[in-house]
Amino acid sequence: MTLAIVLVIAAVLSLVFILRITVSRSLQVSGDSKLAGHLQPIDVEAFRNLVDPAEDEYLRRRLSLRQFRLVRRERLRATAAYVQVARRNAALLVHIGTIAMEGGNEQIAAAAQSLVNDALLLRRNATYAILKIYIARALPNWDLSGSPVLNSYERITTSAMLLGRLQNPAVPVRVSARY
Amino acid sequence: MLQAHSILWHYLWVAPNALLGVLAIIAWRRGLHKQFPIFFAFAIIGSGAQLSVYAADVIPSVPAETFWRVFWAGLLVEALLKFSLIGEIFAHVFGPYPSLAKLGRLLIRGVGMALVLSATLAAAYAQQDSPYWIIAGAHILEQTIYMIECGLLLFIFLFSAYFRLSSSRPVFGIALGLGISSCVHLANWAIAANGGLHASQRTALDFLNMATYHACVLIWFYYLLVPPKFATKSAVSIPEHNLEIWNRELERFLQP
Repeated sequence: MTLAIVLVIAAVLSLVFILRITVSRSLQVSGDSKLAGHLQPIDVEAFRNLVDPAEDEYLRRRLSLRQFRLVRRERLRATAAYVQVARRNAALLVHIGTIAMEGGNEQIAAAAQSLVNDALLLRRNATYAILKIYIARALPNWDLSGSPVLNSYERITTSAMLLGRLQNPAVPVRVSARY
Repeated sequence: MLQAHSILWHYLWVAPNALLGVLAIIAWRRGLHKQFPIFFAFAIIGSGAQLSVYAADVIPSVPAETFWRVFWAGLLVEALLKFSLIGEIFAHVFGPYPSLAKLGRLLIRGVGMALVLSATLAAAYAQQDSPYWIIAGAHILEQTIYMIECGLLLFIFLFSAYFRLSSSRPVFGIALGLGISSCVHLANWAIAANGGLHASQRTALDFLNMATYHACVLIWFYYLLVPPKFATKSAVSIPEHNLEIWNRELERFLQP
């Protein structure tokens, strides 16, 4: 009977999750037009600096071990914040791209497909990066490379820009920026 | 009313399968069978298999053992079709995105293996609810199939939700119907296979299973045949702030 209870609870939770997705999918339609406004610009140069191994090496040489660990943890915390924003932006761009793919224009659909692919890659890499950052925060001496996220973000900005220009030549999308 | 061989019982067994057959015919006329060949096969063969089991149940000359053999055959055919259908849903949801399809395939294989292992263990520890192996085995097989089916569908829903992927309306409808059906059936067969229920309680569960399946067939009708309310979604508005800065900085940044 214990097995039956476990399976019933699992089945009910799965059903609730599936129904929740159905409801959220039907609610999404009304908010589609405001999606691009939720994109948060990212300071790519600052992010590049944070994940630069040369910067870490420089700090390691200049600071005591205790100070280096403190600084490194703070830098990792900032890196995580950037990656989280990139991850959220990627999710929004996936949604924007899939909407654009449903339009009739073939050129826009192809650009949207490219954007979605890049955004998915970024979200995947960002997820990996977040895991790596959490591990690195626990082990501050471990070498962290954020380059896959950075490279994905570079590609995604190109795709978003192309899609934005195809949809509305006068108004491009803003995904990254310098403050 | 809620008794085996009542009018409602006959209706709930026959109607969803007849409707599924009708859906297959309409899908064929609309050319949907080319887009969803496995769903089409599932609609034709699955409904045929269920109606065969129904016929074996209501024809008095069919002995009980033959009924259970037909039930087993129908169950195995349906399981094969449903797992193929899950593969078709997966291909439609993740296939267009190479950056995700490889990871998705890797993960679904892992999840599938874990589910097969868990379902086998659950079957090994399940109580036999009948002295006849052909009946108890059928109940445990139902539990095993729905455990794997429900787990695989949940994985597809979770994975696509995490990546904010919205599949097309028909694909979502097929996955939704199959998902609801597998969750409810899993819960029911888990109780049936492990609970040691009275005949009346088992009949009540049968009614719930059949009513859920009927609802799922209607969901498939709705998502496959009824056009969306918003045929073309509104164009995504693109933010207008910092346009010049954005262009200048982005283009400079993208230069090697």
